[in-house]
Amino acid sequence: MMRTTRGARAAVLLLGVSLAAAACGSSAKKTTTTTAGATVTTVASGGTATTAGGSPAATTAPATTAAPVAPKGTVTIGAEQEPDCADFIGSCGGSSWGFWMMGAPVLPRSFDVVKDGENWVPKASLVLSEEPKLDTSGAKPVVAYKISPKAVWSTGDPITSTDFKYTWDQIKNGKDIYDTTGYADIEGVDDSKADTAVVTFSKPFAGWKQLFGGQYGILPAKILTGKDRNAELKDGFSFSGGPWKIDKWEKGVSVTLVPNDKYFGEKPKLEKIVFKFVPDSAAEFQAFKAGEVDGIYPQPQIAVVDAISAGLSADTKSEINAKTTGGAEALWINMSKAPFDVLEVRQAFAYALDRDAIVNRLFGPLGVKTALQSLNPALVSKYAGTDFAVYKKDLAKVTELMTKAGYAKGGDGIWAKGGTKAQFAVRTTAGNKRRELTQEVMIQQFKDAGFLMTADNLKAGDLFGKAGPSGDFQVALYAQVATFPDPGLCPVMCSKNIPDDAGKGGTNWTRTKIPAADPLLEQVDSELDDAKRVTASKAADKLLAENVASLPLDPLPTILLWNTKKVTGVADNPVLGPFFTSNQWTLAK
Amino acid sequence: MLNYIVRRILYSVPVLVLASFVVFVAVRLTFDPTVKFRQLKDQGAFLRAKKTYGLDKPIPVQWWKWAKGVLSGDWGVSTRTGGRVWEMVTKALGYTVQLIVWGVLLALVIAVAIGVFSALRQYSVPDYLFTGLSYIGIAMPPFWFGLILIQVFGVFIKEKFHLDSPFLSFIGLHGTNKKGINLDYLRHLVLPVFTLTVQLIAQWSRFQRSSMLDVISSDFIRTARAKGVPRRQVVFKHAFRNALIPLVTDVATQSGLLFGGLVITESLFSIPGMGRLFLDALQAGDVYVVVAYMIVAGLFVVVFNLLADVAYAWLDPRVRLS
Repeated sequence: MMRTTRGARAAVLLLGVSLAAAACGSSAKKTTTTTAGATVTTVASGGTATTAGGSPAATTAPATTAAPVAPKGTVTIGAEQEPDCADFIGSCGGSSWGFWMMGAPVLPRSFDVVKDGENWVPKASLVLSEEPKLDTSGAKPVVAYKISPKAVWSTGDPITSTDFKYTWDQIKNGKDIYDTTGYADIEGVDDSKADTAVVTFSKPFAGWKQLFGGQYGILPAKILTGKDRNAELKDGFSFSGGPWKIDKWEKGVSVTLVPNDKYFGEKPKLEKIVFKFVPDSAAEFQAFKAGEVDGIYPQPQIAVVDAISAGLSADTKSEINAKTTGGAEALWINMSKAPFDVLEVRQAFAYALDRDAIVNRLFGPLGVKTALQSLNPALVSKYAGTDFAVYKKDLAKVTELMTKAGYAKGGDGIWAKGGTKAQFAVRTTAGNKRRELTQEVMIQQFKDAGFLMTADNLKAGDLFGKAGPSGDFQVALYAQVATFPDPGLCPVMCSKNIPDDAGKGGTNWTRTKIPAADPLLEQVDSELDDAKRVTASKAADKLLAENVASLPLDPLPTILLWNTKKVTGVADNPVLGPFFTSNQWTLAK
Repeated sequence: MLNYIVRRILYSVPVLVLASFVVFVAVRLTFDPTVKFRQLKDQGAFLRAKKTYGLDKPIPVQWWKWAKGVLSGDWGVSTRTGGRVWEMVTKALGYTVQLIVWGVLLALVIAVAIGVFSALRQYSVPDYLFTGLSYIGIAMPPFWFGLILIQVFGVFIKEKFHLDSPFLSFIGLHGTNKKGINLDYLRHLVLPVFTLTVQLIAQWSRFQRSSMLDVISSDFIRTARAKGVPRRQVVFKHAFRNALIPLVTDVATQSGLLFGGLVITESLFSIPGMGRLFLDALQAGDVYVVVAYMIVAGLFVVVFNLLADVAYAWLDPRVRLS
């Protein structure tokens, strides 16, 4: 009996020692490098880059000479979401994580998006041998993309004009395409010369630089022609025209990228990047703290903000960007639904809220304290006005406007007109803690102003797939995310884009109808003179604010956290994602 | 015996068919698998998707078409990923089986040991201790308990002792670049299995304790003792086997249920098993995956119930299956 007990104890001890030994020795040799405190780089709305807890940090890609590097190694990233497929021009378009992992570092594109001073701007990629120009001297606008002779696919085949033509044809004429904006305006692509794709537009398209790039990239005609593109890209793809190629996509577990040996630019310095799917947000942050993953790019949820404000470890560096983020969270007001079909009520609605207080409550610890003052995201602030800034909490104004609209306060303190109370529901994505908290704060603020607000939330699919398109909401809280540094509110604000029951499509879900704004918004999409475009965009912004077409709330910040003991060279890109420059990543010694 | 097994399996067929119909109708009425396509700016996309996936027909017709496909081995295509449903389910099942096999084995061994010990040392300090712990275990929500385990064994120990990686891992079943059954696998398995087993151990140990108490106070045990049979032989040869009988039914039934019920554990520990497959499919209204999941989970319940009956007969010769 005694022997058995001793044996059992010895076995347990051995097991414990084995686990501890595995924990100690599972990664590279322990470093003796002294690290500074955790560095938090915050690019707050309207502010400048600041740091906390450490030395000042650059907002662009850190210099790769900062730390000694190893030529090989694997970096593991925690990925919150797994895409359903890798057909980013089709049914899996809009999958942010899909694009960040398997699009940006893998697919070639005409234009990259790089930082230029304070702004992010398009710049011809290495696929092109020279910066293309839009030629407007002829009857129709034309762009000639001259392809670099060095640009090749991972198969060794050159990237040619036929690839441009195939990509355009799939997007313009293919089925189940996510968004044909811009490509639908292309009349044809001449691929008679393999090294030059001549693209002729049927009408001016100001955002032409996002074509054959953005979240779509360029697809290889030689591999995909004659095949069902969606089926071919269902489980990922083996071709690449970027620094990385997809080595393995183990569904539900991970995506592994390995270097593309044929890449014609700066080759990756790591052996592998593994994206592990961690769908539980609580576990995601713990996984990062525990070193299970070396970096995370979490949504700016309350728990994440709290965890960051509670303090990060000395090995952690974070980059928080609200100044040039592509996300614009707003209260999207359905102008066809009572009581918001009356201008004064919409204005009173805007004066009832203390938006800065809401933003401060949500993102204050990150240094983001002021509300967004345009429906354009911060990424395109050059084109945005600040006209919504007039809407600060002003209960006297609320009273004045509601009285003018024929409302009177009842005994319960709620505005009413003809026996109908000024009540409305705000719909958002169920389960999103940040948005639910926003609703809670708003309910109280609206009550103080005499409005009765309720929360009526839906699953994301139902909100964006049904309620939104059919206009089945009074106010909806969600974000519009720009996928290129190019302005364009016409799709969501021009009256011609209001969908109807007869099957006419459109993404103006708010049923916004401001006749004076329509031509300005359309001009923003088609004007080729940038100065005139800025003027038109700001004029449109002014009208949208005066009419309270909707109400901008916060610049949805992006949060990138990584372990400096493991990897260096990490930097976020608000358009192409945090892994776009992963070919510059190196293992920390 | 064989007749009994065959008959039980045959009885379960109409139950599964009826259940598949009910689930199919319920999922189709409450979720829209074409939501993803409605979000595309191509307005015709969702109409084509409906046709492609056969969702443009009346729901009973859809179910009948699906059922005919299943009979010929075609479980359909996921409306979410475009993957073959059967492949998705079998792959997810592989992960869940790993958790369940280790979890049930561990829970069974520990629960039986605690139950027997508590019964033999009734009203002793350890008995009270195990009783208290079992109540805590039964009341412990797996999600919360799992997070506590992660915090302690994943984060705290690593930070406290400046380890390079967590003492016990909690993302998936293997570390980066690792595969196979090895120490890395063990480090990943411990926390999800422990999260899964804590309630099982608590319940089964209580079950085993009361069952053992019943048996050791019965006449035949008293007789055996009076005849001078050694205590160990009385406990393990005569009492233990009889005391296992009630537990077997519970273990088998709960094990069957586990195949469909690990949603929280699998989500928390990033394990792409049946629970996560179900959750993802349900949220996307992926009706063919949901129904396939339900059929497989139901099948396991049937099989494990059958196993319980067979084991019951094996343990208690007085029981004859007919």
